[in-house]
Amino acid sequence: MTDAKPAAREATRTSELRHRLRKHVPAAVLFVLGLVAWEGLIRAFDVESFVLPAPSEIGSRLVDQWSVIMSAAGNTMIEVIGGLTAGVVLGVTVALISVRWEAAREGILPFAIATNAMPIIALAPIANNMFPVTSPVSKMTVVAIVVFFPVMINTVRGLTEVGTGELELMRSFAATPRELFTKVRIPSALPYFFSALKVASTLSIIAAIVAEYFGGPQDVLGQYIIAKANLFVFPDAWAAILVASAIGIAFYGIILGAERLVMSWHVSLRATEAG
Amino acid sequence: MSDSPVVRARNLGKTFGKGSDRVEALRGIDLDIESGEFVSLIGPSGCGKSTLLRLIGDLVPASSGELTVNGKSPQQARLDRDYGIVFQKATLLDWRTVTKNVELPLEIMDEEARSERAASMLDLVQLSDFAKHYPWQLSGGMQQRVAIARALAFEPSLLLMDEPFGALDEMTRELMQQEVLRLWQQTHTTVVFVTHSIPEAVFLSTRVIVMSARPGRITDRIETQLPYPRTVDTRESAAYYDKITEVRESLRRGDRQ
Repeated sequence: MTDAKPAAREATRTSELRHRLRKHVPAAVLFVLGLVAWEGLIRAFDVESFVLPAPSEIGSRLVDQWSVIMSAAGNTMIEVIGGLTAGVVLGVTVALISVRWEAAREGILPFAIATNAMPIIALAPIANNMFPVTSPVSKMTVVAIVVFFPVMINTVRGLTEVGTGELELMRSFAATPRELFTKVRIPSALPYFFSALKVASTLSIIAAIVAEYFGGPQDVLGQYIIAKANLFVFPDAWAAILVASAIGIAFYGIILGAERLVMSWHVSLRATEAG
Repeated sequence: MSDSPVVRARNLGKTFGKGSDRVEALRGIDLDIESGEFVSLIGPSGCGKSTLLRLIGDLVPASSGELTVNGKSPQQARLDRDYGIVFQKATLLDWRTVTKNVELPLEIMDEEARSERAASMLDLVQLSDFAKHYPWQLSGGMQQRVAIARALAFEPSLLLMDEPFGALDEMTRELMQQEVLRLWQQTHTTVVFVTHSIPEAVFLSTRVIVMSARPGRITDRIETQLPYPRTVDTRESAAYYDKITEVRESLRRGDRQ
């Protein structure tokens, strides 16, 4: 394995690539078939475009509205990235503090759990008035609150679910609590952290768009969708939804890539042995 | 140091729980383990053999009696890194390579030459070719060899082993027993070995401590008296079978008491 000849390694790499491509064939076929069926049904039954537009129509509207939608998507992404970053930093910080110091855990956790019970839809209009109308900070606040809880609770679980064997091993080495933390608890928490991040990335886009529905700058996806829906131009709204979904998938993909990079050792990411 | 025993227990007792949940895991344990001995603790489940090992390793505190390790309290001995421990599960850290796993205790002890030390330990357990592998790429037996290398990396005077081969298949198990004997002879480490396999205890040990349950106590001490180095021939010798029979009968007697 380590001393494989370069040529052999090249061969395994191409076969691995082929293997991976083959894995994605069924999904791609299903996707294309789905689009064709959708298009066909809309045409066959003459469905009105305000009920459900055909994919071809959404596609052509997307091309037509490209620069407007992209500008809106850019502003929405700023809110998402800002809120996601703040929520993740806050969630991880609270998790680290509450696991490291038990007194902190007793004090903080009830409040952290309370934020989870908070309905963000109710919060959105209020957050809009906390900050200047044009400021993206109000949307970021909503996103951060939504992201905070899953990140915090999953990181806490990862940090605390260390096996007794590992704990006793570190005890036998007379390791300090700090060494136990950095050498065992934090690496053990990484898989939990990344699953939380995947959930959070999806939630953050939902939260940002919902917050946008309640007002603020017009050049954002949420406002674009509302405006187009109010004008009964549904294919345009669908085009914006398509872009929002693409952003969600892109975020997910980036996190997946980071996960592979950081924890290639983990069970879920191990390269399949010999194809 | 060589005059006083490595482990000395007098009237040692351990109870878990309180009130009606109270379980007496160990009662009246008197035991001396001399430097360089290979001592096995054997007995039915619930006899407290693992508990005794964990008392020695200061993983649980004793309830009564006295216990010293290298003439010190078990806690002091642990803080002085007097012992290395191997569990039934290899408990390797998944995110560290084999080398980095062996280096773990050396990192904690701020050892300077840890890569050299880890390399020589891996050489000792014959895993040098797998230095850069991750634990999941190794078989169960190889993982356990890494765990042993890690436990011995900082040259502790005492090696505690808690059913280390319990999860391995019979073939691997016999190879590992051979391996441990070789390491024991090369490093002159004192070994305390918990097992529920009679042949394993006899094959490995200089002395077998037979224990019984309810309450956990020592019922017999048997010198194996088989010459070292012990090999495949030892396993087929009449003296070996006689000792196995002796330990088995002793276990049965202890159970009836």
